[in-house]
Amino acid sequence: MKENMRDKTTQNEGTAQCACPIISSNDFSFYYGTTMGVKNITMNINPCSVTAIIGPSGCGKSTFLRSINRMNDLIPGVRAEGKLVVDGQDIYDKRVNLVNLRQQVGMVFQKPNPFPKSIFDNVAYGPRLQGITNRTALDEIIEQSLKASALWEEVKDNLRKSALALSGGQQQRLCIARALATKPRVLLMDEPCSALDPLATGKIEDLISQLKDNYTIVIVTHNMQQAARVSEMTAFFCLGELIEYDVTSKIFENPSNKKTEDYITGRFG
Amino acid sequence: MRPGIRIAIDKIFTVVAGASVVCLCLVLVAVLGPMLWRGGSAVVFKGTVEFRQMQLVLFGRGDEDKIVAESKQAQIARAKIYSTIERFKGGIDSGNLIEKARQIYRQFGNDLRQTNMSAEDVAELRSVTRQIRDRLESAFASSNTAEVNESLAYVLNFKDDPRFKNTSAAGLIGLAEQYSKDIQGINLAERQRYYQEIRQVEDILVELLGPAPGAATPALMMNRFGATRWDLAQKLLGRLLWYEEWIKQGPEQPMIRRLTPRSQRFAGTEIEGLFTYIQQNLPEMLRPRPTFYWQYFIDDSTPGHYFGGVGPEILGTLLLTVLAMLFVVPFGVISAAYLVECASDNFVMRIIRMSINTLAGVPSIIFGLFGLAFFVLFFLPIFGAPSKGCILAASMTLAVLTLPVMIRASEEAIRAVPQTYKEASLALGASRFHTFVKVTLPAALPGILTGVILSLSRVAGETAPVLFTGAVALGPVPKSIFDPTRTLSYGSYDMAVGDKLAAMVPHNQFGMVVTLVLLILCLNTVAIILRSRVFKKLAGH
Repeated sequence: MKENMRDKTTQNEGTAQCACPIISSNDFSFYYGTTMGVKNITMNINPCSVTAIIGPSGCGKSTFLRSINRMNDLIPGVRAEGKLVVDGQDIYDKRVNLVNLRQQVGMVFQKPNPFPKSIFDNVAYGPRLQGITNRTALDEIIEQSLKASALWEEVKDNLRKSALALSGGQQQRLCIARALATKPRVLLMDEPCSALDPLATGKIEDLISQLKDNYTIVIVTHNMQQAARVSEMTAFFCLGELIEYDVTSKIFENPSNKKTEDYITGRFG
Repeated sequence: MRPGIRIAIDKIFTVVAGASVVCLCLVLVAVLGPMLWRGGSAVVFKGTVEFRQMQLVLFGRGDEDKIVAESKQAQIARAKIYSTIERFKGGIDSGNLIEKARQIYRQFGNDLRQTNMSAEDVAELRSVTRQIRDRLESAFASSNTAEVNESLAYVLNFKDDPRFKNTSAAGLIGLAEQYSKDIQGINLAERQRYYQEIRQVEDILVELLGPAPGAATPALMMNRFGATRWDLAQKLLGRLLWYEEWIKQGPEQPMIRRLTPRSQRFAGTEIEGLFTYIQQNLPEMLRPRPTFYWQYFIDDSTPGHYFGGVGPEILGTLLLTVLAMLFVVPFGVISAAYLVECASDNFVMRIIRMSINTLAGVPSIIFGLFGLAFFVLFFLPIFGAPSKGCILAASMTLAVLTLPVMIRASEEAIRAVPQTYKEASLALGASRFHTFVKVTLPAALPGILTGVILSLSRVAGETAPVLFTGAVALGPVPKSIFDPTRTLSYGSYDMAVGDKLAAMVPHNQFGMVVTLVLLILCLNTVAIILRSRVFKKLAGH
């Protein structure tokens, strides 16, 4: 298993070196029935980087994020146009295997949502879905995932405890561990810290900077300081459109678009 | 509004709410208390020696030597009653006299066949003798003195008839002579009344003390033992000591009941003193002793629940309930899952939802008739089972009855599972089915168990649906699910509308009802404990 992990790491590094984007959106639009969610998004996200998506409420940043692993499909009457390519595959193609896609593209939600099961069972949920039932293999994956999400030291003695008995910050890190256990290439985070106190937020942010060595992270956040702290690239969405997408320092220090400047200086939104 | 008024209104609200809760509790206690008390008397009561004998004979329980010795003691105290009645009856028993007359007539007929008289003579003699016998019988049976005297005079006419000299028929005339002597100066009407009433006394004594020693074993099980319970004995003693009469006041007017002491009815005879004797020595004759009859809950009963317990009823109720639950829980949960997870909101689905809601309010007798028409008459024959009420049909009817409740509860429970759980599962690559089985269902389990509790109580207590589909009041313990069964609910109903016999064992009626209440309480407690454990596990304590 460890070797497997190493393979994955080298593979990720390999893709990073070739610098071809892992997520590539080309004129992508998404509709809820007749209502538009996002419109004509064109952006590339590089592997092993942290990309922040910011923007006012209702601007479509969550819609875009959830399009990347097709979580929006749960809502009846949705429709996608244009191209959204993840890891070389057009994910809105009819032949795409949703199970594989979602294992490749993990997701962490706004509110910590561990299953009402034990810590062990929570993390083991994904691997078990993939058919891993061997106890030692599971143990190893769970240890790795919990270590990767910096939760191992806190819970290693009582993995049988219910996940709901953990604190909010711990629960969110458990959710990250759960997402990591399926060994995804991309990790989507939908405002992962909005329900947490500053201390827990700090821990998650540290975790994000550790994880970016091995995973591509896309994070939606309302907290601009957070975006500035953790991300390399930042995308600013407004009214369903991608206004500006650039290196984080440039967006925050010298935005090229007036709307972006207004938003980050607090004059709007 | 001023703060003072607001506080006052708050206080009034609290008081009114509290008072209504207290009122409800009091009503509940007022209803349940007496019921529990009377039902409890089915288990804890004063058992007589007859009870111990019944337990020995019917259930093989108890120390045989001790019980036999005890019942001998009791018989010694009872002996006086039987000898007194026997003596008294010897004097008044006109039935006995009639039987004697008939015997003589039969004997004479046989004798005639032996003689060598001509056929004509024989025929004439026969018809004369028959007339004599008939007149004698009417004399014995009548209470009208003039009529009796006339009949006896007719018979005594033949006293000197040469044809009867030295034949067995002379016995008939002897009987007439004896009887006319016996009734000299006696009120005939009184004598007839004694005859009727002593038979009543004997009947009550059979119920109170069991069959008289030496009598043949009665065919009915309930007549084989006397009063098994002291409270029953007291009731029978009342009937023994008081003669009940219904007196007509006039046309269109209700009759009134009049009670007279029986000793007064038998005034002047040796029976008169017997009643005081029985009253004083009843404890000696029945030997009541506090009894804890816990086997009430496992024992079979004699027909009519006169003796024994409610074991088969409890078994039947449990069987029906558990089987119905086995049918309804999977169906209910799957239907609810479909309604929540898969069904779109179109016209057909709206009709289905409305139907489910309506079904929840349909009277249970309708379900009973449906069960009869569908399961018993249609469904069972398809699978080659006999088309009669049985446990299978009854439990399926009960399942149908409670299906709406189960669907509604499960639907609510599944709907209440946070969407985030489902999202998390789906985001990990799980299919919708896998998500439902592994995440939604476990999280909805407490709510589903609430549905189970609601259904359970309803199923265990329902009478109407099992009325036509598988419940019987009498019958053997079922051997398979294709046999009908007794149930507590149907048993209670049957005894409530039952005959006089049921009224003689009120402790059994109440016992059955209380057992049903306790059984539902137990089932609910188990389900509630299960639910709280699941809940705790989910909540992570």
